[in-house]
Amino acid sequence: MTTFWIGFAVLGGALVVIAITRFIRGLVPQSEMRDVPMTALETLGWVGLAVTGLVTAGLGVLVAVVGVTDLQEADSARFIFWLILIVGIGVWLAAWVALRRRNGGVVADERDRVVLARSFSVESMVVLLSLVTWAVVLTEAFWDDGTVPLAYLQLLFWTTLIGGAMGRSLGIVLGYRREIDTDA
Amino acid sequence: MPKARIRNQIRRLRFDHGEMTQQHLADLVGCTRQTIIVLEKERYVPSLSLAFEIARVFERNIEDVFTYVDGPERDGSP
Repeated sequence: MTTFWIGFAVLGGALVVIAITRFIRGLVPQSEMRDVPMTALETLGWVGLAVTGLVTAGLGVLVAVVGVTDLQEADSARFIFWLILIVGIGVWLAAWVALRRRNGGVVADERDRVVLARSFSVESMVVLLSLVTWAVVLTEAFWDDGTVPLAYLQLLFWTTLIGGAMGRSLGIVLGYRREIDTDA
Repeated sequence: MPKARIRNQIRRLRFDHGEMTQQHLADLVGCTRQTIIVLEKERYVPSLSLAFEIARVFERNIEDVFTYVDGPERDGSP
């Protein structure tokens, strides 16, 4: 049985390494794309990645420090929780407005719209992964209790929402590094 | 089966039209300069309407600007 779990861990680890390698290679533009300046949407994709990354890190630290239950019960913790979310959304909106102004009200042309449409698949994958992870973790953690504290459901909602936004931004950034054949 | 490819003459036609800039062409056809850049690099296949818009700017037929190339010819061999 131990051999099975070791094999399982090795296989899982190898898959994770392959996925991370492919992801990093995807972020590096191919040689012929290196001198192409960023579009407004691509810039927005990078801003989205930075904002969602910082919000995730902020919420992660908050949850680690005060705990999930206290996050709902302590007013100060709840205030910081909402502050992180509102500041994150505010920064992203400010970037969006600034880019629109810089580009004379236009953020996307037909190529941008293709990239945006394709980024939906990355977003759906992240959302699905988040829901599956939460379902497994909550079931295993609270099986004996028979109930899940309400605070976890709120955390499930926000992490899935932020994860989705991060997936969408990632899909946009990766989309600009690939050849687009609208014929294919 | 080798993948077909759409080749284009945008770069040459731009220079033939008084060295038109990428930004100017982008403004005329209603897209971003980045899209013109990737079009010239043949890293993006445009929609039919954008292809017609570009051909119209250069006062050419669409076949003079864009050509459909089958897989083997893409590598230079007939």
